[in-house]
Amino acid sequence: MGLLFERYHRILYGFLFHMTYNRESSEDMVQTVFYKMLKYRNSFTGDGEFMAWMYQIARNVLKDSYKKKSENVSHYDVADFADRIDGGTAADEQFEIKQTRTELHSAMKNLSDDHREVLIMSRLQELKYQEIAQILQTTEGAVKVRAHRAMQELKQVYLKRKC
Amino acid sequence: MKCEQYQELFTDYMNKQLTTEQQTELETHVAGCDSCGHELAAMKELWDELGDMETPEPSVNIRVKFYAMLDTYTASVAEKRGFWDRVTDNSSRLWQLQPRWPLAYSMIVVLISFACGYWVFYSSRTDKQDQQLQALSSQVHELRQTMMLALLENPSASERMRGVSYTSEIKHADKQVISALLATLNNDPNVNVRLSTLDALAHLSDHPEVRAGLIRSILDQDSPLMQSAIADVMLKLQEKRSIGSFKELLKQKDLDRRVREKIKETITQLI
Repeated sequence: MGLLFERYHRILYGFLFHMTYNRESSEDMVQTVFYKMLKYRNSFTGDGEFMAWMYQIARNVLKDSYKKKSENVSHYDVADFADRIDGGTAADEQFEIKQTRTELHSAMKNLSDDHREVLIMSRLQELKYQEIAQILQTTEGAVKVRAHRAMQELKQVYLKRKC
Repeated sequence: MKCEQYQELFTDYMNKQLTTEQQTELETHVAGCDSCGHELAAMKELWDELGDMETPEPSVNIRVKFYAMLDTYTASVAEKRGFWDRVTDNSSRLWQLQPRWPLAYSMIVVLISFACGYWVFYSSRTDKQDQQLQALSSQVHELRQTMMLALLENPSASERMRGVSYTSEIKHADKQVISALLATLNNDPNVNVRLSTLDALAHLSDHPEVRAGLIRSILDQDSPLMQSAIADVMLKLQEKRSIGSFKELLKQKDLDRRVREKIKETITQLI
């Protein structure tokens, strides 16, 4: 189990972070996902499907957290995240990058969960459509359509914010 | 294809999910179509920005927390398992540890040795029992013989008859018994005792001494009852050697008339 943790916890954390934009709750959720995998490890069969299994558990954990948070509206600490970005770039450039990314984050935040999810998986996690289809328990075609629509939505939201 | 349809493929194109044919087709179209070119450029920019989105590193705490959770979990699982689970687990592990064939082999050896031991002890025990039983029965036999011999010496006629009757229970009468019976047959003062002795001796007619003794005693008997009884026994045994003795008996002048007739009849039947 330790080996699995070392191998997958970054990927899982990345997914959960982009789904919530909250570092603390993402870490908590990584913990919960690993606990569930430990507890229900008997339900897992087969080697290649491990990632799918892990993502499915993660999605369930996310759903639970949405339910819990539904009363006190979730707040994304985008500002906190933006502050973290550093490097040797000049202050102006840095500001610009910060600005762009913050706006992109805001745009992402405004996407529906389904669309954000498919973009994170395909672009950031670099999963193939086939793998995503396995996680979402749907067809490859459906994933394609969803990815296309997600990009369209993102573009609209993003451009609206930029203008 | 219309521009819209091509634009639908942009995401897949950027995602590198198109076939080479589709890809070249799309690239040719975009090269010749301004609106699509702009669209793709905009999408590509967005796509790249999206890809550049930074994912922060999880804090060090995450690892510490995970291993703490793992330890707690394994400990709780170990606690939950009962004593018997552990025992069965260990025994099954023992079975797995041992190479199975040698273990099975040694079990068979143990079983065989048990069987051998049981067989040896059991058979020796029955031998012993048989010996004991034989000794006991021979002791009873001897006791009975002694008792019979003692009873024959008894002054009471009924006791002597009881002694004679014991001979029917003696399976293998030895010489001592036979001579005692013959002595009783010839010398007992009571006719009834002698008659029952004759009965007893008739049962022992397998012994040649008994037959010889009976023939000898024909002349010794003076009671007509005894004489006719011996004649009956001789007829029954088909003892031809007794004819001489009977003829001797016929020479006696004071022989009972009916006895005489009976003996004559017996002689004719024997011949």
